[in-house]
Amino acid sequence: MPVINFEPLDTTSDVTTTRTLLHEAIPLTGAIISGGAGDGALATYNNENIKNYTHGMFQSVYDYPYLSSSANHIFDITVGYDESSAFSGSASTQNSKKINMYNQFAQLLLGYTGSDNKVRLFESDLTLDQTGSMTSCFFLSLSRLLVKDQIKKGSYSMQIGTGSWGSPFITASGHPQTDMLKLQDLSASSTQGTVATVGGDYGLLYDTTASLTSRALGVIFYQAGVVILTSSIFDDMAAENANHPGISPAGTHGHYFFSGSPGDGEPHVRSVSGAFSGSVISASCDALRHRIYNLSFNNTTEINSTIYFCRVPHNKYNYSSNPTYTSGSQIRVKSVSTDEPVSYITTIGLYNASNELLATAKLSEPLKKTPTNEMTLRVRLDY
Amino acid sequence: MAFLDNSGDIILDAVLTDLGRKRLAQGSFKISKFALGDDEVDYGLFNRNHPSGSSHFDLEIMQTPVLEAFTQTNANINYGLLSLTRSDLLYLPALKSNDLVSNSAKTTSSVYYLAVNSETAGKIKTGHSSSAYVLQSDQATDTAIYIESGLDTPNLTGDTSNRSSYIVNTNLLDSTFNLYADSRFIAALMSPSRTSTFSNKTDGTADINMTPLQAASATSTTPVLKNFNAFTAPGINNGVTFNSLISATTISVIAGPRGSVTALNFSVASELGATSTGTRSSMYDLYGSYDQTIFGGGEKYDYIDTTIYVEGGVSTARLQLPVRIIRYAGT
Repeated sequence: MPVINFEPLDTTSDVTTTRTLLHEAIPLTGAIISGGAGDGALATYNNENIKNYTHGMFQSVYDYPYLSSSANHIFDITVGYDESSAFSGSASTQNSKKINMYNQFAQLLLGYTGSDNKVRLFESDLTLDQTGSMTSCFFLSLSRLLVKDQIKKGSYSMQIGTGSWGSPFITASGHPQTDMLKLQDLSASSTQGTVATVGGDYGLLYDTTASLTSRALGVIFYQAGVVILTSSIFDDMAAENANHPGISPAGTHGHYFFSGSPGDGEPHVRSVSGAFSGSVISASCDALRHRIYNLSFNNTTEINSTIYFCRVPHNKYNYSSNPTYTSGSQIRVKSVSTDEPVSYITTIGLYNASNELLATAKLSEPLKKTPTNEMTLRVRLDY
Repeated sequence: MAFLDNSGDIILDAVLTDLGRKRLAQGSFKISKFALGDDEVDYGLFNRNHPSGSSHFDLEIMQTPVLEAFTQTNANINYGLLSLTRSDLLYLPALKSNDLVSNSAKTTSSVYYLAVNSETAGKIKTGHSSSAYVLQSDQATDTAIYIESGLDTPNLTGDTSNRSSYIVNTNLLDSTFNLYADSRFIAALMSPSRTSTFSNKTDGTADINMTPLQAASATSTTPVLKNFNAFTAPGINNGVTFNSLISATTISVIAGPRGSVTALNFSVASELGATSTGTRSSMYDLYGSYDQTIFGGGEKYDYIDTTIYVEGGVSTARLQLPVRIIRYAGT
């Protein structure tokens, strides 16, 4: 039944708005990404968590077999390069698709520049001066489900194994690889260390196993939730040797970017350059997933709140129309008329001018109201 | 809904109602006032005789677990807190249905029977050998439901002085009654005119003239209950007072000072009113039962049970009237 005793809310003094940033920690173990059994577990190609598409332009990673209704989309992964990249060429596998992927991310996140309106290239610095360009990249596009409104600046971290294909994270003697990369955006914060672009703010991902400022190996776009890693991360492990004719000699570590059977009828071994130019996109995605040890960040949810200060005067709401309030018309909480009336508040209803109940708030326990007290109930509605 | 955690500080659990979300989507979400409720509280737990003293009187009330907020508008504040200016009130009016006066309706198994046509009313009257057990739709001068508002306590004498002191001067006189009825079944309310009388004479006999009832359409008030319409009935001054010759309680069901009274009948939706030779409304099948031999014998009836809510216009005292809308369906 309709309520008849209302108290007005003054929009100037009883209503205010606030903005709160809520952060959640999002840890993703390598097991989820690779489909293995724990941090650093090795990838199983095309396992049930990974969805590949016939167009072959990217693959999607889920936290559970993607055919299940319980599965959540975590991120998409792809590779691409600019036309100016050494990998670009008519003989390269999926050449146009890789160029298209790079251009799509670049035009969306950086836009165009120059009199000839060319798409900007990703750079491993904050100056956008076309030096330090990253022309061939891995792209991790994180799901809105995880990123929410944006990634918290300074919170992103991922570890990538650059060891042998068979043991990218751990040495043969069981020790962690000394050359496992830890990429973090430590120099970024809400006040500095980022650059604003058409795609939002981006910061640099440094290899924190090396000097902080010496080796930016990627960028992260916080609002877009896109992580871009240069393919050169794996350059010094290029190792396609004489055992595999036509492939360049062993690199610094003598390891391969991928080896074995990464699907798609690929050769058994590839350097990263060989993968970018000679392999399909999904093969490079498989290889990167195989080498992701873990990944974590804090997301951000922006909560805009309206706070209603419901001021309850001393002389109001001291009686109740609750049927139990009286017994034979006599108020139960009073023995004589001089006893003060008492009521117990459990619910606050917020109404519009037409007496329509638009929002309701419940107290966790009854609140005693008498003519000797006044109170302000602070009701916050989040949007 | 779960209970709220009441083990620590007092917290507030706030949600938009279904209607609030609708208004938000429409761009007309504007909160301008608030009201307070206490639906979970059982004031019967207030123990004025607690051996530990007054600080423990409300111990059990304060431990009442409170449910999380509902999003349905009708499940939140059914009984609001009242802002009565005086703090010295000891009594609040109650509503009671009166079956003492000559043409007042009586219940059958706690239900008022509302016949949809004269054929049905005639059958039920014959069965009961009385017209008191059945209301007939649209009838202005026949049986009606009488509702009284007053202080139902033997502690106060029901005289004019107490009426003034405890009801009129405390602004608790229900000069109107609000009614809420399901719009699918009830088309209009029939209520008395303002010139009606309800009192007793100096010799203690009744002086009552509440008919003819007048039809009233639904008001623009938005009821909380889905499909319900709101109606307003006038509250006639209840002039039944203490009489030493004939007890006032032979006329009035209120034990103490009486405030106001009204009489009610209803017009059912025309679709429901077909005679036994006519076509039965599908609503009987959808919302009730049909071809039921509820009085025994071979006569069959269709019926729909509904509830009509009556509320004192000022006191907000409530009364629920269970009503069976009934149609004779033949043999």
